[in-house]
Amino acid sequence: MSDPVVVCEGLTHVYLRGTPFESVALRGVDLVVRRGECLGLVGPTGSGKSTLVQHFNGLLRPTEGRVWVDGVEIRPGTAVVREVRRKVGLLFQYPEHQLFEATVFEDVAFGPRNLGLDPEEVQERVRESLEWVGLDPDRFGPRSPFSLSGGEMRRVAIAGVLAMRPQVLVLDEPTAGLDPEGRREILSRVRDLHRKAALTVVLISHSMDDVARLCQRVVVLHRGQVFLDAPVREAFAQSDRLRSIGLDVPRVTDVLLRLKAAGLPVRCDRLTVEEACEEIVRVLQGNRRWSSSEA
Amino acid sequence: MELLRSLTIGQYVPRASPVHRLDPRTKILATTVLMVVVFLARDFRGLGVFAAFLAGAVVLSQVPAGFVLRGLRPIWFLLLLTLVLQVFFGGASGGTVLWRLGPLVATREGLVQGLFVTARLVLLVVSTSLLTFTTSPVELADGMERLLNPFRRLGVPAHELAMMMTIALRFIPTLVEETEKIMKAQMARGADLDTGGPLRRARALVPILVPLFVSAFRRADELAVAMEARGYRGGEGRTRMKQLRYRARDLWAGLVVVGASVLVLWSGGP
Repeated sequence: MSDPVVVCEGLTHVYLRGTPFESVALRGVDLVVRRGECLGLVGPTGSGKSTLVQHFNGLLRPTEGRVWVDGVEIRPGTAVVREVRRKVGLLFQYPEHQLFEATVFEDVAFGPRNLGLDPEEVQERVRESLEWVGLDPDRFGPRSPFSLSGGEMRRVAIAGVLAMRPQVLVLDEPTAGLDPEGRREILSRVRDLHRKAALTVVLISHSMDDVARLCQRVVVLHRGQVFLDAPVREAFAQSDRLRSIGLDVPRVTDVLLRLKAAGLPVRCDRLTVEEACEEIVRVLQGNRRWSSSEA
Repeated sequence: MELLRSLTIGQYVPRASPVHRLDPRTKILATTVLMVVVFLARDFRGLGVFAAFLAGAVVLSQVPAGFVLRGLRPIWFLLLLTLVLQVFFGGASGGTVLWRLGPLVATREGLVQGLFVTARLVLLVVSTSLLTFTTSPVELADGMERLLNPFRRLGVPAHELAMMMTIALRFIPTLVEETEKIMKAQMARGADLDTGGPLRRARALVPILVPLFVSAFRRADELAVAMEARGYRGGEGRTRMKQLRYRARDLWAGLVVVGASVLVLWSGGP
C-alpha cells in the first residue's frame, strides 16, 4: 500500500520564461503519490493543479526539481518518457474534445495501437476498457463518437486512456459540465477502477463532496505551493483554512459544523451521510440520556 | 511543448508607454511611411539614422529589447539566405574578389550589398512588429476600419474586414492553446509526433487536426450565436464605445516620424 509511485521533489515550473508573459505556476512542490491510494488534488483556479499533473507523465519538464515515476527519474529521452506515458494515464479536462476517429472502437484503439500491440491484443483491450466505463462494446463500438451524449463521449475518452493499461490514472475534473446522472456514473466508474482494478487514482476536482466520497488523502495547492497535505478527515476538519483560500468543505462537514456552532457537541470529521447520521444520533441519544437522568 | 513561446511576432505587449497611447491610425500611417522610407534609403548612413530612430522608439515603447529581437527568430533563415545570395550574386561583375568557391565568386561589393539588404529586412520587420507590440488587436482593427472608411464608396467592405481581422486575431491564441492541449492529450495516449518519415508524420497529424477543426467550428457557431444575441447586425449604424480622436501627441509623433524620414533620405537618399 505504501510504496511511492510518483515522487516530486522541489518541483518548480515557470511558463514562458524570459518573456513579458512569464508566470510561475509551481514553486518547490514536494509530493508523493503512493501505490493503490486515491489522492484528491484540490485548489482554487490557477493554483497549478493541471501543471503539476502534466509533470507526472513527462508532458511538461520541470524548470527546477525532479520527478520520479515508479522509481525511474523522468529525463529527456524518448525511451523513458514513452515508458512513463504508458504507466501514467492522464485524462485532461473535457477529454471528449480529443476524440477523432470514425468509430468508438477505433478511437479507443488509438492508444494500444501506438504501443505497437497485435490486433487481437488491441481488440481485447478495447473491449475491456469499454466495459470498465460501462459501455457495451458491441453496441457502442461501431458508432461514431460524435453521435453520443456528453457523458458517453467522456466515458469513451476515459476508455481511451484505460486501454493503455496505466498503473496510475490521473483525472483532471472528470465531472465538469456533466448532468447529475453523468457525474454519478463517472464517479462510480472511477471508484470501481480504484477498488476493483487496484488502480492508483489522482483526482483533480472542485467538488469537495466528490473528493470526500472517493479519496483517502487530499493535497491542497495554493498559488503553486502545497498548502495542505493530509488524510481527508484531517483536511476537511480545517474548514477555516480551506475557506480562507476560497475553497469549501463537503456539504456533510458543513452541516456538522453548523450543528456544532448551534451548540450540539458533534464531531466534525465525518464524511458520508451515513456517518454523519450515526454521529448525530449518538450525540442526541447521549443528550437524552443525560437530560433524562437529570430529570 | 510551449508553442506560444516562439510566437512573439505579432503579439501585443501591454504597457502604458507614450507609444502605446498614440492613436492606432497614427501608428498605422507612421509604420506605412517607415516601410517606404526603409526602401528609399540608399546607403548605410541612411539605415543608421533609421536604426537610431527605431531604437529610440523601442526604448520609448518600454517593450523589452530582447523580446523585439526574438521576433526575428522565425525569419533568421530568410535573412541568412538573403545574405548568402547577395554575397555571391549581388555585386556587379568585376568587383573586388574576396574569395572563390568553384564557379561562385564572392565580391566585396556583393558582401556590402548583402549586409545592406539584410539590415533593411531586419529594420522592416522590427518597425512593423513595433506596431503590433504596442497596439492591441482591437485598436488595430479599429484604426484600419477608420482608415479604410473613405474607400467604402469604392466597395471596400471596411467594417467586415476589420471585424474578420479582430476575430481572427482574437482566436489565434485560443487555437494555439487548443492545439497544444489536443497534442498533449494524444501524446498521453502514446501518439508519436516527431519521428518517422514525412508520410508517417503527416498521418500523425490526423488525430490533432480532426479535433481542432471540430472545436473551431463549434467555437465559430457559439460566437455567431453570442454576437447575434447581443444584437449584432453588421456595421450599418453601429456606434462605438471608444471613439478614436487625434490628440496633440499624435501631431508631435507625426512630425517626429516625418522629420526622421527626411533625415534618413537627406543623409543617404537619391
